[in-house]
Amino acid sequence: MTTEKQEKIDEQIRPLYAELQKYGQTQDWDRALKTTRKILGISSNEKKATHCKIVCLMQLDKFDEALNTIVKNAIDTADLFFERAYCEYRLNRIEDAYNTLKSIDRELNEREQELLAQVLFKLEKYNECVGYYRSLLKNNQDEYQSTRHANFIAALATWKLTDSSSKIQMESN
Amino acid sequence: LPPPFKPIPCKPILFDLALNHLIFPSLDDKVQSKRQATTSTDKGQQQQAGLTG
Repeated sequence: MTTEKQEKIDEQIRPLYAELQKYGQTQDWDRALKTTRKILGISSNEKKATHCKIVCLMQLDKFDEALNTIVKNAIDTADLFFERAYCEYRLNRIEDAYNTLKSIDRELNEREQELLAQVLFKLEKYNECVGYYRSLLKNNQDEYQSTRHANFIAALATWKLTDSSSKIQMESN
Repeated sequence: LPPPFKPIPCKPILFDLALNHLIFPSLDDKVQSKRQATTSTDKGQQQQAGLTG
């Protein structure tokens, strides 16, 4: 494609991206999804629009469709580990979610760790799960700390319940 | 006769915190055009020139 043609396309989709940004801020996922479809209708290889489309579908509880979109656009979505793993998690494909997160060959960021902790709970790997919550609690200051603490206690209690012989440190730090 | 009821522990609820992290990527680069970026710096230069000249 010539650069002139590309510039023309960029000019066309720029207002659509502005619209998309606005809907993202107001969490209007239905309208945002329509906008991503408009952008992808003009240019199918828009990586960011594809990413936004997947987020919209997930926010609208369409995890099946979101995961299909990820699989169909394998190259553009290769780095969307969190989105892929979360779809798998919600579709009850917990082993897949675990493998997706384990395939990340760098240190996990905060949201990936948060999801991994939830995945480990479902997999009944409470020991590891508690470890992640300990570190998440230590390194976080956000508004969800009390809920995170509840999750930590849930993991700890279930661990204690299933493995009463092990010596478990009960403190969060 | 059924045996008497007895309490058993239930599996605690785990809250989904990961969903809170599901947001759009930054679209700033897509919203602002390269041309807009350059014209705004041009304007800045013009204004500067106007001030000094």
